Amino acid sequence: MSKTSNINRVDGFAKVTGSATYSAEYKTPGVVYACLVGSTIAKGRIKTIDTKKAEWAPGVLAVITHLNVDKPAGYQKAKDKHNFGQPLQIFKDDSILYYDQPIALVIADTFERMQYAASLIKADYFKEEHSTELQKAADKEKKVETDKGNDYHRGVHDGYKNAEVIFEADYTIPTEVHNPMELANIIAKWDGNKPILYTKSQGVEGTRRSVAGVFDVPAEDVEVHSEYLGGAFGMGLHTWPYEIAALIGAKKLNRPVKLVLHREQMFTNVGFRPYTIQKMGLGATKAGKLTGLTHEAVAMTSSYEDFMEGTVNMSRFIYDCENVSTRYRIVPLDTCTPIWMRGPGEATGSFALECAMDEMAYKLNLDPIEFRKLNYAEKDLEQNRPWSSKYLLECYEGGMERIGWKNRKNEPGSVKEGDWLVGYGMGTGTFGCYRSPTSVKAKFLPDGNLVLQCSVNDMGPGTATMMTAIGAEITGLSAENVIIEMGKSGLPKGPTQGGSATTSSVGSAVHDACNLLVSKVLGLATENPVLKGTPITDLAFANGVISSTKDTAKTVALTSLLSSNKLDGLEVENQSKGTDEARKYSIYSFSVHFVKVLVNPNLGKIRLAHVVSCADIGTVINQKTSAGQMYGGAVGGIGMGLMEALEIDHRFGRPINNNFADYHVPVNADIEKQEVFFVNKKDPISNPMGTKGLGETALVGMAPAIANAVFNATGKRVRDLPITLDKIIETVKV
Amino acid sequence: MKNFQIIKALSSSSAVSNISKEKEAMFIAGGTNLVDLMKKNVVAPDKLVDITGLDLAKIEFLTGKVSIGALAKNSQVAEDASIKEKYPLLALALAAGASQQIRHMATVGGNMLQKTRCSYFYNTDMPCNKRTPKSGCGAIGGSNRMAAIFGASDSCIAVHPSDMCVALAALDAAVLVEGPKGKRQIKFTDFHRLPGNTPEKDNTLESKELITSIEIPDNNFTKNVHYLKVRDRTSYAFALVSVAVALDLKNNVINDVRLAMGGVAHKPWRLTEAEEFLKGKTVSEEIFRKAADLSMKGAKAYGGNDFKLTLGPNAITEALTIAASK
Amino acid sequence: MASKKTNPDKVTENDSNSRRDFIKKSGLLTALALAPPSLVMASENKWDEKIAEYLETVPLSIEVNGKKHNLNIEPRTTLLDLLREQLQLTGTKKGCDHGQCGACTVHVNGTRILSCLTLATMQQNAQVTTIEGLVKGKKLHPMQEAFIKHDGFQCGYCTPGQIMSGIACIKEGHANSREEIREYMSGNICRCGAYHNIVDAITEVKEGGKEL
Repeated sequence: MSKTSNINRVDGFAKVTGSATYSAEYKTPGVVYACLVGSTIAKGRIKTIDTKKAEWAPGVLAVITHLNVDKPAGYQKAKDKHNFGQPLQIFKDDSILYYDQPIALVIADTFERMQYAASLIKADYFKEEHSTELQKAADKEKKVETDKGNDYHRGVHDGYKNAEVIFEADYTIPTEVHNPMELANIIAKWDGNKPILYTKSQGVEGTRRSVAGVFDVPAEDVEVHSEYLGGAFGMGLHTWPYEIAALIGAKKLNRPVKLVLHREQMFTNVGFRPYTIQKMGLGATKAGKLTGLTHEAVAMTSSYEDFMEGTVNMSRFIYDCENVSTRYRIVPLDTCTPIWMRGPGEATGSFALECAMDEMAYKLNLDPIEFRKLNYAEKDLEQNRPWSSKYLLECYEGGMERIGWKNRKNEPGSVKEGDWLVGYGMGTGTFGCYRSPTSVKAKFLPDGNLVLQCSVNDMGPGTATMMTAIGAEITGLSAENVIIEMGKSGLPKGPTQGGSATTSSVGSAVHDACNLLVSKVLGLATENPVLKGTPITDLAFANGVISSTKDTAKTVALTSLLSSNKLDGLEVENQSKGTDEARKYSIYSFSVHFVKVLVNPNLGKIRLAHVVSCADIGTVINQKTSAGQMYGGAVGGIGMGLMEALEIDHRFGRPINNNFADYHVPVNADIEKQEVFFVNKKDPISNPMGTKGLGETALVGMAPAIANAVFNATGKRVRDLPITLDKIIETVKV
Repeated sequence: MKNFQIIKALSSSSAVSNISKEKEAMFIAGGTNLVDLMKKNVVAPDKLVDITGLDLAKIEFLTGKVSIGALAKNSQVAEDASIKEKYPLLALALAAGASQQIRHMATVGGNMLQKTRCSYFYNTDMPCNKRTPKSGCGAIGGSNRMAAIFGASDSCIAVHPSDMCVALAALDAAVLVEGPKGKRQIKFTDFHRLPGNTPEKDNTLESKELITSIEIPDNNFTKNVHYLKVRDRTSYAFALVSVAVALDLKNNVINDVRLAMGGVAHKPWRLTEAEEFLKGKTVSEEIFRKAADLSMKGAKAYGGNDFKLTLGPNAITEALTIAASK
Repeated sequence: MASKKTNPDKVTENDSNSRRDFIKKSGLLTALALAPPSLVMASENKWDEKIAEYLETVPLSIEVNGKKHNLNIEPRTTLLDLLREQLQLTGTKKGCDHGQCGACTVHVNGTRILSCLTLATMQQNAQVTTIEGLVKGKKLHPMQEAFIKHDGFQCGYCTPGQIMSGIACIKEGHANSREEIREYMSGNICRCGAYHNIVDAITEVKEGGKEL
């Protein structure tokens, strides 16, 4: 273990003292308060909108609607003036495309007055028939235009149908909502024609590009600050209409405008995991060899923007199977556009695939892990490439031992603890390892401290801590001597935080920049009187001191090296990106979640007695933050498995449980015992550190693990999430 | 939220007289429900009368009964050593409600007056006869997972969300109130009402009346009691179904019994027929199941809450079994 | 703070009426009725807004983290919004604004409560402690130290509420087992899912036995 492998979160002090500044918390002189008023219908047009009372309410500075808005210059330039196929253009016209679509922006001098004024706005509509129910809109099913691979076949089409043993079933997941604890929020202002945003964004550079497009200004003129994010889980991957609205308001008033969404609006205006129906077909020999696998998914999108995710992708490569078919379709509905939610499509897909694998194992009378081992993929059959590394078997073994898999009996309902039925289940997860071009500046200050700069954000996993660990490791400094500057524009360009790619992208860039910086230091040291004549290869740099490995008496402190050269610092800025060599391999993280449930079938109560989450993520840079991320991903998967569902009243086309009392997410008491296990073996190909990514795969596979455990406990197979108590009690009779 | 006047009452009589002057005036104490409702524009009082300064927070053990002031906090009652000893069912029910932070704020009186959690009631753009009379009931034919299975009407199928009240209904408590016409006492089981065609009225309090305390008569339910709360997550969620059970056992024979349910009706639902059936019988799973089945007479579900017809009797049986085994 | 109107040129007879409408509906009627005649005159002369501002606020004396504040606030101001928007104490977080998440947990007179459901005006002379009040100089509170050591958070947004709740959980005597901690910490939602580590942190502080 390296000295940085278990360091505390470097932003821990700020977060436990309340001094970490989230977007709406920047102290901004003259800031005024704004909120959005939403439509009360799901589809149609605004007939009239009465803003008069609001305008005359005390403290109100502006009420902006489609009738009086100064439309951003970029609206005209957008490729389709009906705004289809692109993000919603707020206040563009009178059309209503989803329930709670913003129809007015209210700005007042205090928070309380703004809230009250907003309640005075009333609109009448020309209502049109809306469509919010996926099952009833199948006729609108379509291919995703931009998705090259949406129909995939290997071997015989739907080859599973020719197998000795066939299993078919449909699986459904409801709409789930990210719901980070921090509400979506922004402080918007203008410096002349330059927009300035303090906003909740997972990608500073992406937000700059989006805002530049809307207002028709150069991206370089857009200033974005997003230094602390109170979670996001994907909802910060889009620049949303509320951010544009705040900028429109700030421009009109020429004052900074603070806009914080209500929790209710978090369910309607900033994306969600889409309702998805999946069809699985599995074929196998009686001995348990998979011969065919078909995975089809139909998911919702909005009426104005196509959205897709990798729901069926995992089925193409995770098991050794000759005949594989996958198909993906979307159905436009009258809702806001979905956005990738943690473990995006893979979490949805693994629910269907890993439940189907469990069901097939039962059909074959095999232990579910035995069945998976019989179909272990030695290479990636989709890409016909070798794995860069794969320690999935170690995950199976590590989890089986910790959960006590040997106590599992295949016969459902055959194990009891007191009055509780005991069930064990598992589910496999995976996620690709991506690496995007990233620039990092590494700079030694005159006092010897190291500054690392990158515009990347940290929505919670511990990006700054990871950068510190890698920087300290390479420069031989201790973590306390590393200063991170990130999460804002103007810094060397980093990637959007998403797809588990941050460590691979930014960590590698830190790694490369620091190595270059150390070389620069050593180069300079060879000119120093003390070390003159020592070949650079005989120089070492640690703890801020350059020394000769041949003559340890010869040392020069970095600080004196800098001062003797009259330098106020030494820096390197470098862009780092993936290699051609890496493209010859399939690089994936793997995870396996195990759960032991206790079920009271009379009450439908499911207790999570023990949860074990195992992962092969290559090198673990920081055990502490990685474990935290894995615990958290598992909790997210528990929400998906047991309680999360956005319920829509289709008569009105509106969500009916859009609050934290009715949309349940897990609380502390929901998980009784939780463990994490990492294989922690370096991937030789992925990147210089050998990491493979964690954030997404930490959630993938948890929901099916719970469903499979519930079946093992009760004999009740629930194929539509979440597994609420009513689905257990209705048929189980004990 | 609309702005409002707020005055602090110095005595219960001045509180009552102050509130009588204004049509749109309301009492406020813990505020955990009222402030929430005001934020959602479900209610919009012109004036609030802050009653937190009144001397109504005491728990007094009197001859033959306990008197609990209307301003006693939920956590204060739940954690009172003598309440735990003499009225453990009440302590259990209180501890099952909300979160500790909310229990520290919410008062006994406020708990009784809390509004339904029906989504249609909270969402002002939705029909709801309880919030806006004659606007219709959104829950009938809509989302009704939480809805009532007993005593509902064509106007309203909402349920009362309290846990505490289920225990108080079981324990034959009485409600003491003070109003413009003076003081009076209401039987707890008569305090909340069924919706009928006036669901906007939750209870039998008259206009401007203030709850001052509740009283619970002494009983022998100190050991074999249980409050079973079934919900969608382990904690910090409203009941889908809850059962309050108090048994007075002598040699395994049921000397006396109280049984009430929450999450099933517009009011805490006392199961008197099942109580009568159980009295004098020897404890067994069979008689518990029979009592549970008896309790379901007249139950009616609305689609989303069909499961309560199974869950209800299962929960009653389970709660009786747990209480008997303590 | 003077209020500006949008489109003042649009003022019509109707607008004046609607303004008076507002005054009635906003509950000012009673206040105006009780006000000296000069104020009523002022209202007729459309000075109503400034007067409204004056009449609609109430004095509040409150102590936050040991510091006394004498303020004039609107009765509808919640303690949470007072802390965040007026006193610039943004350590206390708004997660739902409806008592459904626990992010706004603070201590009032030593008891943990939800500041989003608390009207500030009802906290006359109260002593409020927020996350900012836990640090003594640069010395962290033991619970803050334990949260760092056990990594009891990721994004950090629910953290102030968790820490305030965790301290209270021990003081109340509800931290005697992991099971009890889980139940009594269930009013604080953590969407990053750091529950396991939060329980570790509270357990360590409880077992450390320090005066909190």
